[in-house]
Amino acid sequence: MSENEKKGLSRRQFLGLATGVVGAAALTGLGMKIRWNTKEREIDLDTFTSEETGTDVLVIGGGMAGLFASVKAHDAGAKVHLVSKGRLGSSGQTPFAKGIFVYDEKTASVTLDEFTDLVSKSAINTNNPVYTRQMAIHSKERVNELRDWGFFESPLYHKAFSKPINERNIPVSERIMITHLIKENGRIAGAAGFSIDEAKIHIFKAKSVILCTGAGGFKPNGFPICDLTHDGSIMAYKIGAKITGKEWNDGHSGSQDNPAACYDGWHGMFDRTPSVNGVEVHHDLGMDANYSAYILGNPVSSGPGSQMVEGGPYVPDGFTREMEEMGPPAIDGDQKGPKGPPPGDEDGRGAPPQNNDEGGAPPGMASAASGGASAGMAIHKSEGIVPINEKGESNIPGLYAAGDALGSHMAGGIYTQVGSSLAGSAVQGAIAAEAAAEYVKTVSLQSIPSSSVSAIKEEILAPLKRESGYTPAWVTQTLQGIMIPNFVLYIKKENLMKAALAYIEELRDHHMPMLRASNLHELRLAHETGNMIISAEMKLRASLMRTESRCSHYRLDYPDVDYDNWQAWINIYKGSDGQMKLEKQAFDAWPAQ
Amino acid sequence: MAIKSIDGCIGCGECVKSCPTDVIRLDPKTKKAVITYPEDCQICHLCRMNCPVDAITIDPTKSIPVVVSWG
Amino acid sequence: METRNKRPYLLIGVAVYLLIPLIYLLLADFPERTVLKNAISFLTLGAYFLMLGQFYLTRINKVTLQGNKFSSVIKKHKIIGYIFIPILILHPFLIVVPRFFESGVDPSDALKTILTTYTSSGLIVGMVAMILMICLGITSMFRAKLRLPYRTWRITHGILSILFVITATWHAIDLGRHTDIVLSIYMILLAATGIFFLLKLYIMNPQNKGGRK
Ligand SMILES: Cc1cc2nc3c(=O)[nH]c(=O)nc-3n(C[C@H](O)[C@H](O)[C@H](O)COP(=O)(O)OP(=O)(O)OC[C@H]3O[C@@H](n4cnc5c(N)ncnc54)[C@H](O)[C@@H]3O)c2cc1C
Ligand code: SF4
Ligand code: SF4
Repeated sequence: MSENEKKGLSRRQFLGLATGVVGAAALTGLGMKIRWNTKEREIDLDTFTSEETGTDVLVIGGGMAGLFASVKAHDAGAKVHLVSKGRLGSSGQTPFAKGIFVYDEKTASVTLDEFTDLVSKSAINTNNPVYTRQMAIHSKERVNELRDWGFFESPLYHKAFSKPINERNIPVSERIMITHLIKENGRIAGAAGFSIDEAKIHIFKAKSVILCTGAGGFKPNGFPICDLTHDGSIMAYKIGAKITGKEWNDGHSGSQDNPAACYDGWHGMFDRTPSVNGVEVHHDLGMDANYSAYILGNPVSSGPGSQMVEGGPYVPDGFTREMEEMGPPAIDGDQKGPKGPPPGDEDGRGAPPQNNDEGGAPPGMASAASGGASAGMAIHKSEGIVPINEKGESNIPGLYAAGDALGSHMAGGIYTQVGSSLAGSAVQGAIAAEAAAEYVKTVSLQSIPSSSVSAIKEEILAPLKRESGYTPAWVTQTLQGIMIPNFVLYIKKENLMKAALAYIEELRDHHMPMLRASNLHELRLAHETGNMIISAEMKLRASLMRTESRCSHYRLDYPDVDYDNWQAWINIYKGSDGQMKLEKQAFDAWPAQ
Repeated sequence: MAIKSIDGCIGCGECVKSCPTDVIRLDPKTKKAVITYPEDCQICHLCRMNCPVDAITIDPTKSIPVVVSWG
Repeated sequence: METRNKRPYLLIGVAVYLLIPLIYLLLADFPERTVLKNAISFLTLGAYFLMLGQFYLTRINKVTLQGNKFSSVIKKHKIIGYIFIPILILHPFLIVVPRFFESGVDPSDALKTILTTYTSSGLIVGMVAMILMICLGITSMFRAKLRLPYRTWRITHGILSILFVITATWHAIDLGRHTDIVLSIYMILLAATGIFFLLKLYIMNPQNKGGRK
């Protein structure tokens, strides 16, 4: 296929999408051309074996949070096992984050209280100040440990992450996709999943589980999160945990030229070794670019001379920035832009000045931006498992979460402190680990009834067993077509969200149970697709419920901040009838138990 | 296109392990890296950066149509 | 015999063993790479081809050497050996050199991975070729000290050469990033021709005492 043909395809696809619900149909047509037709099963179902492993603390996820969760739980005396669907330090979002925040009382321009207040002000109170403060307090210790492990010496993190893990002989199982959390007698009993390399199901018995599974998205184009589908949240939701923050959005945009090329879009960022940065609180990467694209249409250009749009998301006083500073939403802006830090500096990009001229954006790349680079993902730390306290503990005894998997609202519903996402994952990983290590002293390993085990195995293998059904690739693209348009996911209004919800419910009720896989790679995709569908439903329901606009949640039909009714987060949980339930949790309270 | 070609592979398996989206597999017979699921490539270059002999070439275009929010 | 004209063996040799492969490398559709990376690849491939060319610069080449002074031919054979064997010894190190200038795995880690990957036959064969080549170099350099009868040395040299060329070609075809089907066939042809004429000389002419010094 030539490049032109490919462009042509995506143009046509956009046309289809522009008519909203027709988008799904257009994609269906397109789908036939690609390669998701019936494939023979490539694996012999009878060859599946299973392996059972027991441990005190099971850490799921090998990113920044999982690293510290494992190391600190071990150091607190617990027996730890780390499992991840990708490689330690080379999966999830961690490999791509290059700026890490350090709060150093000696040099900081503001006190801890001032810092926390500043974040709250920018976040219009959507942050949980307990977690904001905690991140700042512990950031320096974590960064120093990272430095000792050689983190700042290489652009690739696997080696530095392996150092403390190997020194402690912590067992690591990579390329195992966890699909189930197991609860027995009201508390956590372990987790289960499968290897993507061999026909093997893994049952992990554990006294405590720390979910460090990161965030997720709809396998979007332009942000390297295609391996993350909110698995942790969805697994936890299914066993009764509460999930928060699904109405928030991450506003990263990509380039209209090769939107899917993450590496190219970040212009050399991935090549850098990491660096640290200090206090720098913004109100970034909300819905401004999406709003201006919605009002003015494409191309969303930026830079000097670009138009300001009337209305749009409210930015608190003191955090507004000139439009030309904001732009281009295209990622290259932050390295080429002559003026101050453009969007994306939440990530610490542009923070180390010596790096600013690296990367060399090809000429002409600072052109038009495309939206939805990170579609399906919210502001880091704003979505995920609802904590019942400052330790990342969930409402299910023994189940903890940390980092992007935890809905700590550390930064709030908008990007505030530059580089705090990495620091927050490190800090929260360590804190959850110490709490989990305490907890495991008080409980014993539970046995998992063989009936539960066989039911889980059945569910894991179901997509492989189906003789007919839908391929995960096709269902995913259909879901993308429903969810990703600017006017559904970002610039929200009731009737369109309801329409999209009807589509998602169709996927949930009719397509999710018919996902089909012909090999282990597709088996992983099938489970990920199921998680994306539930995550999409959560996003739509939470967005429908939040009848106001605030931070990265923008409703055309409710454009203002509603201080009277919405000083609250939205928690989602599974009702006793199996339906998705939503509740409010006041900003200054821990969840009702 | 995404990940485009692998030339000069010595079969160490580093790229297989470092790819977050499981695009590359080692051929069981030749023990060399094979681009197996290119449609899932997120063009992040981790495989290329991890390859000891720099065998991997990546193209910025995606092998399947791309869905974005506006166009 | 002496009355015959000198044949332009050097020109032909350079064409067959350097120009043709080089032109092919430049014209064929290989992924674009930096100048440094290409330079290293071409140097390594060039060194390999020149090693194949060593057959050409010996007595077994009855065709194009005709009329040329043998001592000057053998001098070239030696010079090429002493220059390009070290380059081939260094090539695993050269491969990781670009990593000093480009973000990615640490060059020393890359080298460690290269030297500890034993899953693919290509690497093991390459290591065998490397050892054979080093033996070839050493036995040539210290030929005087070895005090072997000339014939024994020559047969050793020949056998080592054959083994080296087979393993090196195998390695190059299996692992070389530029050895596509065309280049592979060319390599096999050149290697086979060299081996064929060498064996022919040994078998057809076993009591040849050799005119070489
Ligand atoms: C391009 C980019 C640039 C960024 N830049 C910065 C920056 O400069 N500064 C900053 O502070 N932050 C930045 N961030 C955000 C930061 O990377 C994340 O907030 C942080 O790394 C999250 O770490 P984590 O450990 O919580 O999750 P992740 O790093 O996402 O790790 C999740 C882990 O869970 C595993 N996992 C997921 N699901 C499963 C499952 N079902 N079974 C088994 N394992 C599973 C994954 O394999 C992975 O190992 C950036 C993010 C991106 C994408
Ligand atoms: S570019 Fe990234 S996603 Fe694509 S094959 Fe390489 S590691 Fe995998
Ligand atoms: S990392 Fe490079 S050498 Fe190793 S298996 Fe992958 S492509 Fe081959």
